[in-house]
Order: sequence, then structure tokens, then C-alpha cells
Amino acid sequence: MSLLKNVRYHFMKDLGAPALMRFSRLKKKKRPTNPNPNFGPSLKSANRLKEIMARHYFLSRYAEGAKPVAWVTSGAPVELLRAFDFYTFYPENHGALCGAKKMGPELCAIAEEHGYHQDLCSYARIDLGHYFSGITPVGKLPKPDLLFASNNICQTVVYWYKALAHYWKVPLVLFDTPYNFSTITEHDISYMVRQFEEMIPLLEQVSGQRFNYKKFQEIIRIAKEGSLTWGEVLATMKSQPAPMTIFDAFGHLAPIVSLRGLPVTLEYYRILLDELKERIEHGVGAIKHERKRLMWDNIAIWYKVRDLSDIFAAHGMNFVTATYTNAWAETIYDLDVNQPFESMAKAYSLVILNNNLTNRLELMERLIKEYRVDGLVIHSARSCKPYSVGQYDLARLLMDRFNIPSVVIEADITDSRVYFEEQTRTRIEAFFEAMEI
Amino acid sequence: MTRKEYLMEQKEEKGRKLFGIFPAYYPKEILWAMNVLPVEVWDPPLEVNHANAHLQPYICSVVKLGLELILQGKCKDIDGLLFPHTCDSIQNLASIVSDYLNLDKPCYFFYHPKAPYSAASRRYYLEELKGLVLRLETQLGALDFSELKQQVKKGHKVAALLKELYRLRACSELTASNTDFYQIIRRGEYLHPDDFLPLLEEFLSISRGHSRKGPSVILSGILPNPPEVLKILDKMGVRVADDDLLNCGRRLLAPESRNEDPFEAMAEDYFGMPPCTTKNSSLKARADYLFKKIERSKAKAVIFYMVKFCETELFDVPHLVEELKNRGLATLLIDSEVNQGLSGQLETRVEAFVEMIS
Repeated sequence: MSLLKNVRYHFMKDLGAPALMRFSRLKKKKRPTNPNPNFGPSLKSANRLKEIMARHYFLSRYAEGAKPVAWVTSGAPVELLRAFDFYTFYPENHGALCGAKKMGPELCAIAEEHGYHQDLCSYARIDLGHYFSGITPVGKLPKPDLLFASNNICQTVVYWYKALAHYWKVPLVLFDTPYNFSTITEHDISYMVRQFEEMIPLLEQVSGQRFNYKKFQEIIRIAKEGSLTWGEVLATMKSQPAPMTIFDAFGHLAPIVSLRGLPVTLEYYRILLDELKERIEHGVGAIKHERKRLMWDNIAIWYKVRDLSDIFAAHGMNFVTATYTNAWAETIYDLDVNQPFESMAKAYSLVILNNNLTNRLELMERLIKEYRVDGLVIHSARSCKPYSVGQYDLARLLMDRFNIPSVVIEADITDSRVYFEEQTRTRIEAFFEAMEI
Repeated sequence: MTRKEYLMEQKEEKGRKLFGIFPAYYPKEILWAMNVLPVEVWDPPLEVNHANAHLQPYICSVVKLGLELILQGKCKDIDGLLFPHTCDSIQNLASIVSDYLNLDKPCYFFYHPKAPYSAASRRYYLEELKGLVLRLETQLGALDFSELKQQVKKGHKVAALLKELYRLRACSELTASNTDFYQIIRRGEYLHPDDFLPLLEEFLSISRGHSRKGPSVILSGILPNPPEVLKILDKMGVRVADDDLLNCGRRLLAPESRNEDPFEAMAEDYFGMPPCTTKNSSLKARADYLFKKIERSKAKAVIFYMVKFCETELFDVPHLVEELKNRGLATLLIDSEVNQGLSGQLETRVEAFVEMIS
């Protein structure tokens, strides 16, 4: 690592980034607002969230050469990397951001020009499109020194990161998590623990730092607390009216995904939780007239979050729970500072997408009951096969068991070229009719 | 004898259990040793109808056809199903079948570790083999260790014959047509080794000889379906000199382990197999392997036999195509549903490609 770049990074961290945040706050105040009458007041914490994420992306430009940089998959046990002080960057989070900024088609098309088929995951195509073009809404991404992937969310990340490793010419560390077809066994856990042990020398080599067990334990503690607090944040939506919507939560999810194990995440969720509790106390709902409560399944349709949010809110329908946002509150809280490797193996291998469909059905049943869900909206995402394969059966089984309407939206997470507005509208309208019966 | 007749004979006369096996890698020797005939499910000749109620339009036809086979009740004589961990779609299909369909058949799952391989991967694979045996024993009774040793040896005999066939073909010393070659090879997807071995021996003895002249190509991808492409290649005098197909060369050409312990031998065989994207082999390993094949056979081109929506394979293709082009080799990408047959457009593309390399 370069001393000069290190000094520059710390200067930007301590002075540059705070100054930028102050400037952006001033700029924001001048903007006129036109609130949607169907929604309650916006969450004040959202501004803090924007600052945290903007700072994260801003600082990433200066991390290169100053700190070891790792590109990480959303389900990977990042706590281990934090012990080596890696600056972590999440291509999936960047993909979601590109999707929300409606840049998905442009970046996907660039990857397609280089031979990557349109049938491939659009997060991956966005990332590869960025590699070939340098285009990103955040100015510049830091070049990775290391890639860290886990197939606990899909096998796709393995193929995708393998391509990244080839292009960036950096090592790829894979955390291989056996799929939980029926039960996770001791030998599955031992395999995962041994992988952690085998990774450490490479992480030491790339980062130039020795593994510090005590520091690692402290990171595990913070990650666990962060996940628990995120869980509490989500649980506030059990209240009627719910103080926020899942569409809000899609945004508030960013720290637990990208900054897990860092104190800032924990601090942020405590602020958010306080605000939500206050709302509950004063009966403030995220939407003004919450008549029906819905569950969302799968990753967000990032380019349509606002539109869908408005459409459903106009009908008094609020999304109060989602399997997607729940994923970071579901198992990570099981981390144990006294058994960090074993607990990390269990927590990360039992996440929703690495678990059998009986588990998913039970989870959804529990969420429907706890959040008093009246209807189910299923996003069948072309990009995400482990999330999508099985959804038709899940919808049928849940409808049978709870007698609640459901709708399947065939779309994609970021590639709006496969989103069919009229077809989706028709399906949603039919769903609204079913909800009113 | 048809495949169906053969399977019923195995069940009724030889007393063997029948297991439906989904793609791709599994320890068949364990099944043979437990008197089970593995019957692989790649491209059953069916029209997809019922499976569409369970699977989205963007799921590959191998997965859809496998489910269709079950839903049409064509697995009623099957005694169990085995799902190796090959890709996201097969992983979730396994769970749909096991968790949601209420089948009265036991479903088994087999996880193989992903590369890069380390000491932990090898240990895990060995434990997985033994774990599978334990699970199977609850249905099939105890495994006879000496029988397993015999079956591992038998598996090595099959592999040795297949390798010899591949070697002769690469060296232009095999007279068989492309169509005949793959028809024989693919019968290994359901024949018992006691029947497959003599078939291979006979095929070898009658097929030795100079291959006909003409440009040669390598096949890469998933499986040689639609088979009509092979017929066009035969008709136009193009010789398939070798392949890197998931359901053929990639699984069949492992170096045979000499280890006396059958579990160790199976593990060594597995880790010695050619690189494969389903096992997370690196792009370099895959490209190097293809180039070795090209060098040995002096092939002029590579045809990628893709299955539409197969993310697993599609991710590797851009790099492989680029590397091949950099070396002056022609490539053709066939991206089709299995059993789709040959459209006029695809036929024209294949013919134009052959004319280009001739």
C-alpha cells in the first residue's frame, strides 16, 4: 500500500467526505419537494442513510492503493475481511444503484456486446459492462485487490466472479457453502470452517496484515448487533399502520449489506429504530390510509420501486414484509463471538437462498402470520434463479393455506428491457380486484 | 430392445432398482454396488406441458424436461431420484420435487465441492461419498465394500475404453460417423456396465480404421442435442474430432485412480476430471483444456452446443470464444432448447459455418 495514497485516503475520510456531506445537505435544502399525498411524512433518517452510502462510494475512490480493496458478494461472510481492514465494495449493491438510476440497459448492453448473453444475471452484466466501459453513476469504482464470493446466494456469483478474476487479474476467494437440502451436517460445517482457516494466509498476504483474533471477535459482535437491530427495524412493520414500507426498507438495507460489521451500520440502525418507534408511538404510518398489508418476495425491481410504491399506496396497500430484506436479519444474528468460525459457517450457509424450499415456505408462513399479511406479490426475477425457481409452487401453497390472493410479476431486477408495463399493470389490477373481495 | 424395455428387464429379471439421476456428476459406482441402475435424465423425448406450471419460461429445457418426466408419471417404475448439485436450477428443482410434489420416491441430493480445490475440498468430497452411502443404506441395505471395489474397477474399465475411443477419434483412426459415435457413448447414460462394456468393445473393434477426410471440429457445451446437427456435419463431411461436452467428454475422460481404497479412488477420479464450469474451474483451465484437444486433433473450429438459459455455461463462453479467435480458430454458437430439432435458420447457419472452415 502506498503511504501517499494512505494519507490522501485519511484526509478524504476525515475532512473531504464530511465537507462533501455538509455541502450536499445545503444543496438538498434548496430543492423543492412535492410530497405524494398517499404517503405519510418521509423518514428523517433517510438523509443520514444517503450520507453514509454517498460517503462509502466517495471514499472508495481513494481506497485504491491506500487500503486493500475487496469486491464481495452480498451473502459472503465479510466479517473475516474486516479483520484485515479491507475496504469492501459490493457489485450487487452497485448493480442495484445502477438499476435504480435506470442505467441497467445501457451497462447490460455493453456486456452483451462483449459476448455476455442477455439471459445472464443483469447484476453481473452491469458489473461486466462497467468493467468494459468504466461507466458508473458513482464516478469511479476502486480496482479490487481481491474478490471474495460465496455461493450461498447463487452459483451465478461464482461464474461472474470467475470472469472478474480473469479480467482484473486478482485472486478470487470462494467460500463454498453446501446447499441445505434437508439438514446441515457437522461435516458441512467442518468443511466451511476449514475453508476459513485455509483463506487466512491469502488474506494476510493480500492485506499485509496478520490475523487478529480479538479484532475479529469484536467485528463479529458488531455484525451480530447490526443484524439484530436491522431485525428490530423490520419488526416495527408489524405495527398497524406500519411506520415504513418495504420499498423504504429496500433502501435502508444498504448498510447491512455493504457495511456489515462496521460500527456505522449499528449506529445508523439505532437511529432509524428510534425514529420508527417514535412513529409507532404517535400512530404515524408510512402510507396515510393503510387498508391492506402485503408481502414482497424476491429482490426489488430497482427501476420500478418508486412507480410500484405509488401504485400500491394509492390503493391503501402497504408492503410490510419481504423475504429479501429479512435475509440479513434471518441468520446473521446467530453469530457467536466465542465460536466465530463455526457460527459464521452456520449463519451464512442457512440463509434463505441456500436453504431448501420447505424452509422458505415455513419462513413465509411465519412472516404472513406475524405481519398479518393480506396478500402476496411475487417478483419472478429472470436474473435470480435460486430465488425464482419454486415461486409458482410457493404462491399456490400459500394461497391454499392462508386463502390470500397473490400475483406474480415477471420482470428483472435491473434490466428494464424485460419489464412489460402493460402486462404488469393488468396483473396488478386483477390482484387489486382480488384483494377487495 | 428399447430403453424402456431394457430398464424393465433390469428391474424384473436382474432385480435391480432403478434410480433417475439428474445432471451431471455423481458416483455411479456406489449405485452399481448397491444393485441400483442409474438412469440419467438429460433430454427425455417429451413435450413440456405440466412443468410450465412449476417453472418460469426462462428456465432451461433440461430442467423442464426432467420435471415433465416426473409429472407425466413416467417415473413410476423408478425407485429413487438423485440430484447432484450442478446449478441453481437443478438445486431448486431438487427441492421442488422433494418438498412440494408429494412423490412416494426417496430423493437424494449430492453436493460436490467447488474449485479451487484444497485439502478441505478433498476431505469433504470423501465424506460426501460416505454420507451418500449411509443415506442410501436406509433404503437399499448395507453396502458390500468388496462389491464397491469391484464396481470401481469396472468403472475404470469403462473409462479406459471410452478414452481409447476418444483417442482414436482424435487421431483420425475411427471410422464411425458423428451420429453413431454419440449414440453409442450416450447409451452409457442408462446401460449397466456389464452391458455397456461389451457394446463399447464391439464398437471399438468394428470402428477402427482411417477416418474419412474432411475438416474436423471440437464440440463444447452441454450435450449433443439437437442431434440433427451431427447429421448435417456427417452429411457435409465434417468430423467431430473431440469434445468438451458436459454430458460426454468432461465426465467420461478422468484418469483412472490406482488407489486400492474405492472411496479414495472415486475421489481421485472426480478431482482428476477435465475442467468444468459446474465445478467452478477457472477460465484459464477451461481454455487450456480446449487448446490441448485442438492441438491433439488438429481441429479447425469449435462448435458450442449450448442449452438456452444455461447460465452455468454461458458465462464461460465469451472468454473461450475470444481465446479461440485469437488463435485463428472459428467458432459457432448453437443456443437452442433440447429436442427442439433443427430450424431452417439453424441449418443454414451450420452449413455456412461448415463452408467457411472447409
